[in-house]
Amino acid sequence: MGESVRPHVIETVDLTMIYKSGKVEACALRGVNLVVKEGEFVAVMGPSGCGKSTLLHLLGGLMRPTRGRIFIDGTDIGRLGDAGLTEVRRKKIGYVFQRFNLFPTLTAKGNIELAKKIHGNGHLNARGAEEILEMLGLKDKVAFRPPELSGGEQQRVAIARAVINQPRIILADEPTGSLDSRNARMVLRMMRELNEKLNQTIVMITHDHEAAAMASRIIEMRDGQILHRAQHFAYEPEFEGLF
Amino acid sequence: MESLITANIRSRPTRTLISVLAVALGIILMLIVGGIATGTLNDYLQRTRMVGADFILQPSGSTVFYAFSGASLPIKLVDKLLEVPGIRAAVPVLAKFNSSDFGLVFGVDLEKYNRLSGRLKVVEGKESLQADEVIVDELFAKSHQLSPGMKLTLLNHTFTVSAICRVGSVVRVFVSLGTLQELNGTPDKVTAIFIQADKGDLSLAYERLRVAFPGFAIIRTSDASLLLQDTSMPGFKEFLLTVILVSTLLSFMVILLAMYTTIFERTREIGILKSLGASRWFIVGMILKESVIICGFGVLFGAGASAVIRKAIIAAFPTMQVSMSARDLLFACAMGLGSGTLGAIYPAYKAARQDPVTALSYE
Repeated sequence: MGESVRPHVIETVDLTMIYKSGKVEACALRGVNLVVKEGEFVAVMGPSGCGKSTLLHLLGGLMRPTRGRIFIDGTDIGRLGDAGLTEVRRKKIGYVFQRFNLFPTLTAKGNIELAKKIHGNGHLNARGAEEILEMLGLKDKVAFRPPELSGGEQQRVAIARAVINQPRIILADEPTGSLDSRNARMVLRMMRELNEKLNQTIVMITHDHEAAAMASRIIEMRDGQILHRAQHFAYEPEFEGLF
Repeated sequence: MESLITANIRSRPTRTLISVLAVALGIILMLIVGGIATGTLNDYLQRTRMVGADFILQPSGSTVFYAFSGASLPIKLVDKLLEVPGIRAAVPVLAKFNSSDFGLVFGVDLEKYNRLSGRLKVVEGKESLQADEVIVDELFAKSHQLSPGMKLTLLNHTFTVSAICRVGSVVRVFVSLGTLQELNGTPDKVTAIFIQADKGDLSLAYERLRVAFPGFAIIRTSDASLLLQDTSMPGFKEFLLTVILVSTLLSFMVILLAMYTTIFERTREIGILKSLGASRWFIVGMILKESVIICGFGVLFGAGASAVIRKAIIAAFPTMQVSMSARDLLFACAMGLGSGTLGAIYPAYKAARQDPVTALSYE
């Protein structure tokens, strides 16, 4: 599919978020306009407090903007009620967190099955948990609980959980932030594979330039705004050699 | 989802165990305490009916639980009762509470008492009730290891067991009316008069007695419901209600506290569930199902333990009755499950309403 005809999976228009605490107001996002096309792998960078996480939470329907519009797969989610936002999260979004956020009482497979259960029809089009775990190199870890897994393994389980229902978008909040460099590279490579092989749209927050280099586009944020010197990268096969 | 629920239950064994035990305790309290109260009442009422009287005359506001009654009826009322047309027998009894074994002793004139159809049926010994003689029923004899000829000290007086009668009389121990009046310091006074009417229309006899004795309670014993209706049972229903309320509150409070604590512990997990797209109902359902499972174990354990405790009580105290019908069991189980589930509603609602971003950042 050509670049020009790829549909917009994410689009924000004048997206503004102001946090209020009593009479104090803090503007986290100031009129952000962003378009992410299907199959893009976008890295969002910027210093702490620049609004990256707020942007991710808004894109994922975890909160509502103060002003502006957010279109996810053509739906203005800012106008949806709680049930509608929940539906968007369930059907369209997959989250990968810095701290993995797996259920410690469940096995790796149990964590993935839970996501399928919440999705409701995970058994239809989505791959089976074991198949996904195999793809992510975790087939022999299905019966392990998160505390029994390494950080890298936990994050791979979290990625498996995020993709099991084949959401339109993966939102990753510093997915390598808690990993050593070897595991970080492995996780990034897998995300890249998901992007390339499954045409999975990914928006990833990162502080790490090396991680950002894996993305097809880097967006820089400052003071709640997107800087216009955002860069486009072409994926370089020789980069693979790093891992 | 079920695996998350069972995993949560298994991963917090101490909380689960304490919650299960607390729910079970509520069930045991309801079944055993309520069962003793109901069993004792039913047994007593049944034995009252087995005396064979059609009516019991007592002072107004009295109860057939004679432990609460004094000796205030003049014995001369017997003659007046016999003057009422259709009244065949009037048998005075003096009831005295024997605190040493928490039971009642009847002072009776044996010859008159045995005119009633529920007369004492002696199975061992001599049918006699002289001044210092006592007749006990089989259960009393068994629990006190008595046989005819043995001595028994009651009300600071030593009696000789003259006979052992069958179980079924209203009380388990009988002495001579004169002796008990003397011991009680109430000569010529009795607690109640058992009345037997001629065969025929009991309602007519009842009306005649009411007219002839307007200031007295005429208790009909021909029917269990009439007996319950006519007798006064001070505080019995209130007592049962209190037991049920305390038991129910126990389950409610324990589950409320356990689940409330749990959702605080699991705030981050609730945030994760929300990020995965779990609806409010999904989260409410998860918390409620968890509490239902805990309560279910509590109810099962409580019901099982109650059955064991009931058997142990009956074995240890043969004269004690513990009523535990299938209806009682179902009621207690429903109350345990219901109160536990109600206790989980507020924590579940609170969990479902959590802001996902705040929950996800919870440490």
